[in-house]
Amino acid sequence: MKAIQPQRGMDSFEDIRQTGLRLEALRVLAIVICLVLGIRLSWLQVLNHENYAVQAEQNRVRVLAIPAPRGKIFDRKGRLLVTSRGSWNIVLSREKGQRLEDKIDLIVENLGVDREWLTKRFEAARYEPKYEYIVVKELATPGDVAWVDAHRIEHPELMAMEAPQRVYVHGKLAAHALGYVGEVSKKELQDPNSPFSEARGFKLGDIIGKSGFERYYNDILMGKDGERRVVVDSRGQIKSELSRVEPIPGRDVYLTLDYDVQLAAEEQGDTMPTGRGALAFMDPNNGEIFAMVSRPAFDPNAFSQRAKTQEGREEITEYYQDEDKPLYNRVIQAAMAPGSTWKLFTTVAALNEGVITPENSRVQDGSIQLGSYFMTSMSHLGFPDVVTAIARSCDGYYYRLGLKMGGERFEKWVHIFRFGEKTGVDLPNERAGRPPTPSEKKQFWEAVARNMKKKREEAGQKWTERDAREYEFQSRWTDYDMAASAFGQGRNETTPIQLLRYVGALANGGHMVTPHLLLKVPAVERDGVMLPELRYEDRNKFTIPMSPEIHEIVKKGMWNAVNGDGTAGAARVEGFDVCGKTGTAQVASKARAGANTKDNAWFISFAPRDKPEICSVILTENAGFGGRNSAPRAKVIYEGYYRRTRNLPMEVATRQ
Amino acid sequence: MGSFSRRFITDFDWLLLGMVLLVCALGVMQISSVEPSPGMWRKQLMTVLVMGLPILFVTTLIDYHKIVNAAPVLYGIGIILLIAVLLFGRVVNGNKSWLYLGPLSGQPSEIAKIFTILMLTRFLADVRKRPLDVRTIIIACGLWAVPAVLVFLENDTGSTLSYMSFLAALLLIGGIGWRWVAAGAVGLVLVVALAGFWLSHLDSVKYKDNYKIQRILAVYFPDKAQERFSYQNKQAEIAVGSGGIVGKGLGKGSQGTLGFLPEVQTDFIFAALGEEMGFLGTVFALVLYALIITRLIGIARSARDRAGLLLVTGYAALLLCHVAVSMGMVLRLLPIIGIPLPLMSYGGSSLLATFFALGLALSVRQRRFVN
Repeated sequence: MKAIQPQRGMDSFEDIRQTGLRLEALRVLAIVICLVLGIRLSWLQVLNHENYAVQAEQNRVRVLAIPAPRGKIFDRKGRLLVTSRGSWNIVLSREKGQRLEDKIDLIVENLGVDREWLTKRFEAARYEPKYEYIVVKELATPGDVAWVDAHRIEHPELMAMEAPQRVYVHGKLAAHALGYVGEVSKKELQDPNSPFSEARGFKLGDIIGKSGFERYYNDILMGKDGERRVVVDSRGQIKSELSRVEPIPGRDVYLTLDYDVQLAAEEQGDTMPTGRGALAFMDPNNGEIFAMVSRPAFDPNAFSQRAKTQEGREEITEYYQDEDKPLYNRVIQAAMAPGSTWKLFTTVAALNEGVITPENSRVQDGSIQLGSYFMTSMSHLGFPDVVTAIARSCDGYYYRLGLKMGGERFEKWVHIFRFGEKTGVDLPNERAGRPPTPSEKKQFWEAVARNMKKKREEAGQKWTERDAREYEFQSRWTDYDMAASAFGQGRNETTPIQLLRYVGALANGGHMVTPHLLLKVPAVERDGVMLPELRYEDRNKFTIPMSPEIHEIVKKGMWNAVNGDGTAGAARVEGFDVCGKTGTAQVASKARAGANTKDNAWFISFAPRDKPEICSVILTENAGFGGRNSAPRAKVIYEGYYRRTRNLPMEVATRQ
Repeated sequence: MGSFSRRFITDFDWLLLGMVLLVCALGVMQISSVEPSPGMWRKQLMTVLVMGLPILFVTTLIDYHKIVNAAPVLYGIGIILLIAVLLFGRVVNGNKSWLYLGPLSGQPSEIAKIFTILMLTRFLADVRKRPLDVRTIIIACGLWAVPAVLVFLENDTGSTLSYMSFLAALLLIGGIGWRWVAAGAVGLVLVVALAGFWLSHLDSVKYKDNYKIQRILAVYFPDKAQERFSYQNKQAEIAVGSGGIVGKGLGKGSQGTLGFLPEVQTDFIFAALGEEMGFLGTVFALVLYALIITRLIGIARSARDRAGLLLVTGYAALLLCHVAVSMGMVLRLLPIIGIPLPLMSYGGSSLLATFFALGLALSVRQRRFVN
């Protein structure tokens, strides 16, 4: 190739016009390209600027919650029952178009997370908003937190975030009364009638009371989360803070529960032969509940701390599947026949109605033939007076007393005592039970008849006059109904808490106080404002007519039952004047037929006789006689209470 | 070598140099604002002042004929460097385009582009057939293909693309027949149409790890693309769009300073400019580039001979390609291809190659008059 030399202008063979044209084309191309770029720039920066500005802001600003500590729960004497423990979650931020799968090894190897669980977690996270952090480890150990901190440079996508855990200090103790906390569910958030709806400011991830006291007083306990608005970089690492709203802690609460009584009651609950039952103790003067035990029990820590672990989930599933329903608070939810504990109601009603009088209260005892039914009575004491009838629990006496009184008057008094209505205890999901009244029976059978009629019509069958008569007949209040209802069987369904309120009124002379768990919420300063002390206010209390004379008869009967020749001698505590009434209720439903179909053992009581301080209801399910299975439990607990309150030396507990 | 005379100074294209330096200034400002590591902007500024400008002036002083005559040697050096990269190069961002020689490091493909333009100029300047005959076209393509293939083997798609730009321009201006031009245009349209058809019917899941296909999908068929491949497009778009008309101000752009823009100091510098200086800044830069390119084309038109014409046209096409692709990718008009924005992006190799090429163009301009 020979070297080129500078030339004088273009060669003659060069088509200058042609070259100029092509150069011009190149210039036009350059201008067109620049125009296209310019148009695109104005589209992005002028026309759609706002949209992108919002996206840029969302890119860089994160709102992080600062969890508000939930209030602590103490017993009436300030002993800690429930608290919160600071704990940490390890979270992963997911920006930069990174693949979550690429992080699995890192997390599994360094934070000891289960691979399978994490894979599932990431799978679920696909459907969550991209700007949300993914919790990859809950309840991180201090070692985990230290590791994450130490590797901030290499792995800024990992962060430790505070997440307080609820701790139920004594595990299963008072579990049903306290309840437990957990994450608010989607259903609760979306239901406008739920107390935890979005409209009320709740959001996904909020920890709320799910049952018991925790749920009922959630507003007081929960507090309000604070928030930080922070600037993050593309890897989710916090660069600076824009604003900060401090959390408002929840308020501490004192319960009416007395740890000593509760503990004693728990011990008694543990010895129940079928593992099912309920105990509740209360101050009859004001309704303050000292102890509330339901068996079987559960550990609320399973929900508040272990719900996200494999073992915890298995534990919870077991609770749900257990036939004995450990999550069910029998004290407020077990509605069943109260047996002979109900006789005191019949007594008060009959005395008020003048069916019997304090002067002449003798009614025949013994078995009785009512139509086709033969109703046996264990006692055949001739014509006992009412005090003896209570103390010896004479069934025959009450069959006849009921028949003398009649359905109409009986019903009037069931409503005066407000049986079949909720007591209004400060716990969620209380059941109302079923009152043993003629109108209830009528309504029940009318409903059955309506359903039957509808079914027949759907099947194209006729609903005859005869059918209607048949059901009308069924709905009548019979002598059998009357006699059975008078001594606490029949259609009667009453909860332990209803009996607790009732025995409280028997102790204090007719004042129906509302059993409750909230003692006080101490005054506290929040944001420079002094929030006043809150105390429980009984808006539900009422009084039943009970003259001192009638009250005396009731007390005498119950005192004799324990201290005389009655059925409840096992509850006797020297010097404490325990008054009680046993109940041995036949199990109406034979659904659990077999060895378990023994009677339910009831015992209601109060002490001391004249200035009552404590009253109680004890139910031992399917255990047999109330006097043998429930009364001794009351004795142990009263004994302890008596000695503690009188500063007497504690005996070694003699447990049956 | 021409004398550094009064005439040289009065004749020198100060306007072009002024525009070039303005663009450099925008780049240095933007690098200092996002500052991925401290001192980067100072290094860039020093490169421009201490190495870029001297190279530009010295090249301008040298008669470009001498450089064009030396093209075979330079071309050979370029190819050796490219082979060295393939053998000893270091992989950065998926491209094996970096060569480390002791304390010196660089991307030989940048300077090799200019050497290849020189080589093609050298070859085509002598060809006297009009239109170009097949033999000439084949030789030209062969000369071009050696470095182009080497760069392609480095996995540097952006650079390979830019090689095509000057080949096309040189053949066009060199006098290729209209039929070839028409065939090329039709072929290009066909390839684009076929590719579009194929991509629109593509089962993108099957190619979920093929980043080249995914990056194309991310721009033209965003619904089909894997999210991790459209992230950069999206962030660049947000950066530019959020800048608005006047921008967020230097150092105040969150997209650039908080790491949402990848490679913000090099390939995505224009996105950072858009975010912080807004529409006014981007249009200013765009107009400067347009003026520089059209001015280069003007220099080509006024060149005294065929060598000057080809040399400047080749570089103008290369510059146009760089600007179009680099901005197009930031503005989500083109797929993400690692290609720097000349004069603005951080990086010595690109800067020095650009100053050298601009020096060549100025040298052509200085000698435009036949005397």
